[in-house]
Parts: sequence; structure tokens; C-alpha cells
Amino acid sequence: MKKGKGMKFVGDSRISAERNPYIPKDYSEFPGRTEAFWPNYLLKEWLVGSVFLVGFLCLTLAHPSPLEGMADPTNASYIPLPDWYFLFLYELLKYEFASGNWTLMGILVLPGIAFGALFLAPFLDTGPGRRPHQRPVAVGMMLLGLVSVIWLTWSSAAPIDYQARAEQNRPIPPDEQVQVDTSHEGYAIYESNCMSCHGDALQGGGAGPTLIGIDRSAEEIAQIAREGVGSMPPDQFTGTDEELEQLVDFIMTVNEQAQQ
Amino acid sequence: MLQKIYDWIDERVDVTPIWRDIADHEVPEHVNPAHHFSAFVYCFGGLTFFVVVIQILSGMFLTMYYVPDIENAWRSVYYLQTEVAHGQIVRGMHHWGASVVVVMLLLHTCRVFFTGSYKKPRELNWMVGVLLFFVILGLGFTGYLLPWDNKAYFATQVGLEIAQQVPFIGDALRTLLAGDPTIVGAQTLARFFAIHVFFLPAALFALLGIHFILIRKQGISGPL
Amino acid sequence: MSEKKQQVTRRQFLNYTLTGLGGFMAAGMLAPMVRMAIDPVLQESGAGDMANVGLAVEDITNEPQRVDWTITQVDGWYESEVTKSAWVFVNENDEIQAFSPICTHLGCVVSWEGSEEYPDQFFCPCHNGRYYKDGTNVPGTPPTAPLSVYEHSVENGMLYLGQPIPRGEA
Repeated sequence: MKKGKGMKFVGDSRISAERNPYIPKDYSEFPGRTEAFWPNYLLKEWLVGSVFLVGFLCLTLAHPSPLEGMADPTNASYIPLPDWYFLFLYELLKYEFASGNWTLMGILVLPGIAFGALFLAPFLDTGPGRRPHQRPVAVGMMLLGLVSVIWLTWSSAAPIDYQARAEQNRPIPPDEQVQVDTSHEGYAIYESNCMSCHGDALQGGGAGPTLIGIDRSAEEIAQIAREGVGSMPPDQFTGTDEELEQLVDFIMTVNEQAQQ
Repeated sequence: MLQKIYDWIDERVDVTPIWRDIADHEVPEHVNPAHHFSAFVYCFGGLTFFVVVIQILSGMFLTMYYVPDIENAWRSVYYLQTEVAHGQIVRGMHHWGASVVVVMLLLHTCRVFFTGSYKKPRELNWMVGVLLFFVILGLGFTGYLLPWDNKAYFATQVGLEIAQQVPFIGDALRTLLAGDPTIVGAQTLARFFAIHVFFLPAALFALLGIHFILIRKQGISGPL
Repeated sequence: MSEKKQQVTRRQFLNYTLTGLGGFMAAGMLAPMVRMAIDPVLQESGAGDMANVGLAVEDITNEPQRVDWTITQVDGWYESEVTKSAWVFVNENDEIQAFSPICTHLGCVVSWEGSEEYPDQFFCPCHNGRYYKDGTNVPGTPPTAPLSVYEHSVENGMLYLGQPIPRGEA
């Protein structure tokens, strides 16, 4: 830009009135096969982006985003599980040196050291060499960190049957949710004997199946409450015969309502 | 016509230098996959940004249907998934995007680390990048609660328990996050929503801005 | 066309391709989102079911009377009971008329003979809007359109009302 007098501005602004014709820069003098970011390189980058986007959209179409049943704080049998990228921290807390008296180790010290070192990497690894073999300590620590994170994630995720979890926690559509008559005399008995496994609306939970839509007679229900069935242990119901009758009646009426 | 509108604006605001500054810089050969296929590792940063853009857009559209309220949050998500046309896809983009962004970020971090690109003079940009990593993880943690399903509720409870075990400030930290010393409920959801939708994205934008300005100033690290 | 060959430079070509590709990516991202956002606009407006308003046809007189009834309103994921009301009477031609009480001026609620000064008229207390008995607005008062008319039907001697249909300007 020219300095001093003779500069012309648009109105009283600081915008120069002179328009310099735009000449695309020439990078041919640069070493190697350097090219312009716009439009040469960006075009290639966006081609990669388009392929990525198509793949990503295919993923979202093939796998609908999961949604479990509405949060139920009374569901005592639910086993919490964080998103996969927090699994390594979650798994870490299972180890002896990171739990119990050593919990601080697991939640603060170890992650603190790992992420602190990552954050301060430029100051811990100050040598001039950039190739991995020129800085074996830094690269070794990083590899160790990566391997342990992958190992922790894998050992946490491997035993989990994600499909069974999704199946078990499938959401109940709001219009199919049964309104439970809490004023029914059997409800209090249900609440104290059955709810912890079969849920507050008989919808079932981790430990017990749903009690809605079951094909059993009143006598069978009463017998199961006393003696158990399948994986359900006996003597889950402890009360008088009269209470048992009310409980069975309650379960039957909810089922009748649900059928309508 | 378009040219005239552009000229009219340019005469008054002189915008050409602004976008030319972004557009006109050279890309060296060693990061260009067209010349060396192995240079595809340099794409991960751009792809991370791309997924972040997808996340921002899909998130904006999702808030058109979502309500952060324990009575209605799950219902609105369920409604969005089952009743609204393409709601399933948009929520899918946001849900899977959250995972993909972490994967891409990890790959990008590995590329920068193993090429030693964080060394002088790029220390600052590396630290901004690690902060971005934390912000993304924070977004993942707070976003996990929002659908208010069982998975969300119980995972968040565990997360808050962990926060509570921090010495000295644990209880205060948990209350600050959850809005209540013991309950995970209405206040927690409102807080997590605010953090997920306003606070962390604001931090994300600021840090991304610094990240890009620094890259532009310093240029991409040279070949090994 | 000029004789001169219209050459596209390499740079222009790249720019066009870049714009096209950018458009493709933007469209791929935004198409499902925009479709989701405009979904309510594309929903067929459900012709509301007729609701029994709890008024026997034989009880409808020449004098407009107010009826209130509740319907279950489904608003996305939220269901609620809302109260609706209408002014119902039989006009000179023995036709049942059911007017919406919502003033066509600014949405206040009108009432029959709501002002002692104007008998035999619907009156809106907000801005003194007035309507004749047939629902048309009195010229010179704020409203610019007649009161909306409910669709109605009669089943088993009971009055059923549907959606209020706006009438054109009078």
C-alpha cells in the first residue's frame, strides 16, 4: 500500500478507494509440488469429506440411534454403563489399586498424570528431533497410554451383551404404558414385594420380566409369588393369604386394563 | 448480478482481503494425499472439524423438538424418533457423530503426536488442541444425559459419584454439576442442557478459533 | 454468442467444481434436518373429530347460549385437556348456529349482550368490538371479519361441534 498523501478513501471511512485487481498467487516457485489451498487443495479435501459424509449417513441409516425406556430412578436392577469413550475410566476403577482406599488414585492421580502429560507434552519432550525414533521416551509413553486405554476399553466392553441390553431396555411407547391404579388395595403389597424386580408399572426390569400380557391364571400367579418360577426364587412374597389374594387381583386388573 | 452485489459490499467494507487471507495460502506437497497417499493422515483434523459442523447443525435442529424437562424430555425424544419425519436420522447423526468425532479426534491427536508436530513453535496450539479434546469429552458426557432414558440417568449418576469423590471440593463440585447435593433430577437435566448447549459450545468455538488462527499463522508442520 | 472462444480457465473450473461439491455436502447434511424442521408444516391438518358438547338440540333456543366442553388436545408429545366454548342458537331459518367466541379483532372473548348499551349484539370488552346476531361485525367497530362458525352435526339429538371455520371479510 502506498503511504502518505494521495491516498483516497471511500467517503469518510478508512476503506481505500483504490481497488487492486486480484491476481491469484503463484506457488510454482515454492519447493516441491506446492499448490494453492483455494481451490485446488480444498477441492480434494472436500472430495474426501463427501465420501466420508456418504459413509456417515449410511451408518446413521443402518443403525437407528438407540433410546432406552424413560429414566426410572426406582429401577434398582439397572447396571449403569457410560458411553464407550468413558469406558476406560470406568474400568480403571475396578482395579484394586484404583478403588477402595485408593479411589483417588483411579479418579484423580492416574488420569491426572496421563492427561496432564498429554497436555504438557511439548514441554516434557523438548528435543529437536521430530521423528518417532528420535524421541523414544515420549513415543513409548504415548504407546503405553494408548495400549492401556484400548485394553481397558476392550476388557470393559467385551463381556457386555449390548444386544441383550438394548432388548431388555426397549422403550415402551407412551400410549401403551399402563396406568397403574395406585389406590388399589393390592398396590401397596405389590410395592413392597414385587416392585424392585418387576418395576413400578409392572413393566419389568433387569431382574424380572414384565407382568403385563402374561398368560397365567390367578392360581398360577399366587403359586409363583409363593414358590417362584424359572430364575425367580421362592418366598418372594411374604404375607397372609388375604394379602396374596389382593396382590393377585391387582396384577389381574392391571392386565385386564392393558388388554383394552 | 451477484458480482454487482459483491462489488457494492466490497466498495464499502473491503471484504476481499478478509476472505483472500483465508483462501490464499499454499499447501505443501507432503500433506497432500494426491501426491503421497500416506498423507491421508493429515485429513483427520479436517474431518474432525467436519463432524463438529454436523454436530452443531444437527444439534441446532434437535432443539426444535427437545425439551430439557424430566417429565417431557424422554417423551419429546421418543416423539422425535417415531413421529417426526427424518427425526430418527437427525438424532442418529447427532448420536453417531458424537462417537465419530471422538474417533477422529483420537486419530488426529495421534497424527500430531507421532509426527512430533507439537514441538517448538507449535506448543500453544497443541495445548489448545488438548483443551478441545476435553471440551469434546465434556460435550459427550453432558449430552449423554439429555434423552433422560435409563442409560442416561444411571451413567450420569455414576459420573456424579466420581465427581463427588474428589477431595475437599467433591461435594461442592457435584452440587454445582447436578444442582442438588443428592438428587439427579430436574435441576440436573436443566444444568446439563445449559452446559451442553451454551457453555461448552461457546468454549468450543473460542478454542477452535484460536486453533485455526494459529495453524494459519504458523503454517502446517514441515515434512519429517 | 461472440466469435471469441469462451474459455473456462482451470481456476474457474476448479471453483465451479468446488462450489458444486460444497453444495452437495451442505445438501447431504441439511436435507434430513430441514425435512425434520418443516415436518409440522407438511402435516395434514387433522380434520378434528366432532365432539359432543353436552347440549341437547331441543334445548337450543333463539337466544344465544354459551356452551363449554373439553377435548383432549395432542400437542406433539404433550397431551392435555383444553376447554373450548361456543355461542349456540337457532336462527330465523331454523338452522343451528354455533359461533366461536374469539373476537376476530385481537382474539379476546366476546359474549352475547355483553354490554347493556348494545342489546341483541355480541360484544367484545377489549376494544368495544360488536357483532350482529348473525355473527357479522358491526361496521365501524374494530373487528374486520365475522365470528368464526363451528362445523356442527346432530347425532341422537345431541349437538356435536368440530373446528371453527373463519368467514371472509364482510
